[in-house]
Amino acid sequence: EELKIVAAHNQTSPENPYQVGLLAFKDKAAELSDGAINVEVHAGTLGTSEAELVEKLKLGAADVVLVSPGFMSRTGINEIQLFAFPYLFDSYDHWEKVVDGEVGAQMADIVNEKSNNDFKLIGYWTAGVRHYYGKKPIYEIEDLDGVSIRTQTSGVVADYWSSLGAVPTSVAWGELYQALQQNVVDAAENAYPYYVQQNHHKTANGKFTSETGHDYTTRFLLINGRKFDSFSAEQQEILMEAAEASVEAERASLYAQEEEYKKILMQDGGRINLLNREPFIEAAVPYQNEAAEEYGVTELLEQIRELK
Amino acid sequence: MIKKITRIMEKIQVTFGVIFLSLFFLVIVIQMFARYTGISLIWTEEAANYSFIWSVFMGASVMIHREGHFRFTLFFNKLTGKAKSILIIFINTILLIFSIALIYYGIIATQNFWNYNWFSIQSFKMGYMFISIPIMGISMSVYMIDHIYDAYKEMKRCE
Amino acid sequence: MLGFGLIALFLFLMFIGVPIAFVIGIIAFLGISAAPYIPEVTVVMKMFNGLNSFVLLAVPLFILAANLMNSGEISKKLINFSIALVGHIRGGLAHANVLVSMIFAGISGASQADTAGIGKVLIPNMIDTGYDKETAVGVTAASSTIGVIIPPSIPMIIYAGLTNTSVSELFIAGIVPGVLSGLGMMIVIYILSLKRGYPKYERTNLKKILRLAKEAFPALMTPIIIIGGVITGWYTATEAAAFASLYTFVIGMFYYKTIKFKDLPGILEDTLTLSSLSLFALATASALGELMGYYQVSTIVQQFFTAHIQSTSVFMVIIILFFLFVGTFMDAIPAMILFIPVILPLSINLGISPVLLGMVVIVTLAIGLVTPPYGLCLLIAARIGDMSIERSFGAVIMFIAVVLAVLIFMAFFPDIAFYIPKLFVPSLGI
Ligand code: NA
Ligand code: NA
Repeated sequence: EELKIVAAHNQTSPENPYQVGLLAFKDKAAELSDGAINVEVHAGTLGTSEAELVEKLKLGAADVVLVSPGFMSRTGINEIQLFAFPYLFDSYDHWEKVVDGEVGAQMADIVNEKSNNDFKLIGYWTAGVRHYYGKKPIYEIEDLDGVSIRTQTSGVVADYWSSLGAVPTSVAWGELYQALQQNVVDAAENAYPYYVQQNHHKTANGKFTSETGHDYTTRFLLINGRKFDSFSAEQQEILMEAAEASVEAERASLYAQEEEYKKILMQDGGRINLLNREPFIEAAVPYQNEAAEEYGVTELLEQIRELK
Repeated sequence: MIKKITRIMEKIQVTFGVIFLSLFFLVIVIQMFARYTGISLIWTEEAANYSFIWSVFMGASVMIHREGHFRFTLFFNKLTGKAKSILIIFINTILLIFSIALIYYGIIATQNFWNYNWFSIQSFKMGYMFISIPIMGISMSVYMIDHIYDAYKEMKRCE
Repeated sequence: MLGFGLIALFLFLMFIGVPIAFVIGIIAFLGISAAPYIPEVTVVMKMFNGLNSFVLLAVPLFILAANLMNSGEISKKLINFSIALVGHIRGGLAHANVLVSMIFAGISGASQADTAGIGKVLIPNMIDTGYDKETAVGVTAASSTIGVIIPPSIPMIIYAGLTNTSVSELFIAGIVPGVLSGLGMMIVIYILSLKRGYPKYERTNLKKILRLAKEAFPALMTPIIIIGGVITGWYTATEAAAFASLYTFVIGMFYYKTIKFKDLPGILEDTLTLSSLSLFALATASALGELMGYYQVSTIVQQFFTAHIQSTSVFMVIIILFFLFVGTFMDAIPAMILFIPVILPLSINLGISPVLLGMVVIVTLAIGLVTPPYGLCLLIAARIGDMSIERSFGAVIMFIAVVLAVLIFMAFFPDIAFYIPKLFVPSLGI
């Protein structure tokens, strides 16, 4: 029997890995169901705000959406913030071990329980690894002294950057190019595919990328839990398999784009440097501990550290 | 009786609207000065946004009472007497149904997200933000009923 | 089928006089109810979320700034100064009307407040000194459309928010077409004045000009402070709007001493009610936009365009004609909320920069401010001049032609039109 699934993410570019992932979800679901499950993919057409997508998921105005930890925490599920801690992961290998393993499963349970089955987590995606980029390269913590950086201005991320001597500053994404050009901020941080697409690396204050790798980002592929329960066992199985296919496709696409945009950055005259990340990682530990205490995820944090 | 109620309601709504307007104006000014002194305030944007939404919904309700919302008057102005009263009743009934929908779905929205919190201040609940929708719906409905009653009296007078 | 039914109902409700903001909301409700898989509560959620954007706060704040200018008689100082500068040319008052609108445009992001504030002073004044009513109303209404073309501009801020374009780039881009429109209108006025023998004032002596300039100086500085601040990144567009209000309040209260504390509640109330009108329309338009999102209207339109239209010029012509049409019955803000998401991907595919597209749409919708049946500035000016919309429209046609000419020049020869701003800002994305 026919089943229509409305799936939405907040990126409007057709080449974005999110779109690649959701299209893989759509294709797999159609293939396994002989076309009976029709996934309608919305690339930004149902809103470019993640907060709004979460609301839609709860109300049943969308069935599958993609969100980041910060926005999930608005629903009152604070544990989810864990995945946004600075230097929580030290490589994609580590990240995959965590989210595809026991910790990932536990987090999925927490999300499902705490949301009263509004949300069911069916896959872990990534939006890339975030690096520092600014008007001068960073080699050690001292280099960040007094540097105004566009990043989150609240929570553990802001606390961490402040502790390094940087000044977290709020600038809208659409204004960031101008802000880097006109010296409003000295630096920003993001993953290659995102800021190179916006040409930030061509600005005066975006020229030097230092591979801090402080955030291997996690994104949650969510389905409305109550709706999922109303499907037949066979449909559920198909959707879970489709979710698996989407995870594979999204990650592959993101990893490839990361290489691609790094190359573009270098061709355009942007500069990249490596650095000794150890002191940066050490500096993050107390903030991780403190925040984990606050959100009640100390045990999960320990498990993640053991997987390194 | 209803005239007295609507007059008081309008006064309250204007007052709240003006307070919310002044509030977000002040918050933005504070944010500007804070930035130049190197303090980063995380709550300003949300506080400003939500008081802005409250002020718009209150202002929009008031303008229903004052019949200030923009509309075409070409056809409307051609009518006189009873026909005009009937048209007023018809238009206001449509608007009344719309306002009732605002109340009903506004309550659903408020219930659903009552416990969601602000991004910046976790202890601030979204319920107090969404409740602006049913309140707008209720006040608009009262103003519409007042308009319908007036038009009905006028119609009777024409007969 | 459903789509046509909804459009027919839209036109019917609008025709019988249901307020336009509500017509949009009713259509959104019906459309979403008809779609089985979208819950109706989406309408109110989208009304709320449509307003939940920091850039929108600029709307009431710019209107507040304009209201403070008007009630603090700061507008009057600017008018006197403008008369001193251009009053001696034939048709002097009409020229001053345009000039003051250009200055006012540099402070205010909205056109309605300009029409109301300047019209109240200049329309009666022009009629008294021998202009016919049509010209008085026509010049006032037409020149106030410059308010949204010269920065700061509410439509530019909304467009930037919708498309993730830089507000400062749009502001920079707006200066040239705004000034050209103003100068073009002055040329038309000059020719008319020669033909109809409109009066001129005696040339003001330099001493008096300097005295008036000194008097108007704090107000004259406002555009520079606001536009300069946004372009250099001192503050965001929304903050600029707050700053404009704060600045006009301070000079009105403490320098000119024309604003009293007891005036404030009234000024705030006017600001609240006036801005709520377009913002409520924005809220309901967001809900209707959501419906279009569910039906993926943008994808359908995109497929049609990719199959049939490859030329940028043809695309530009379609965009201009479409928004000229939409502007006759809809405000700029809801029009952009509804249609920009649909046309933006098309224009990017054709290689038209979002900044240029924005300028074309904004100038086209500015013309909508003076085209009946629903042209806000024309309505306000006609009300002040106490004449029918039909008659006043006749008077603005010549000026609409000027803005259209500027629009066509800008849309088809962007390299020439934006040559000068690009010298200063090489990164300008046009
Ligand atoms: Na302006
Ligand atoms: Na004018």
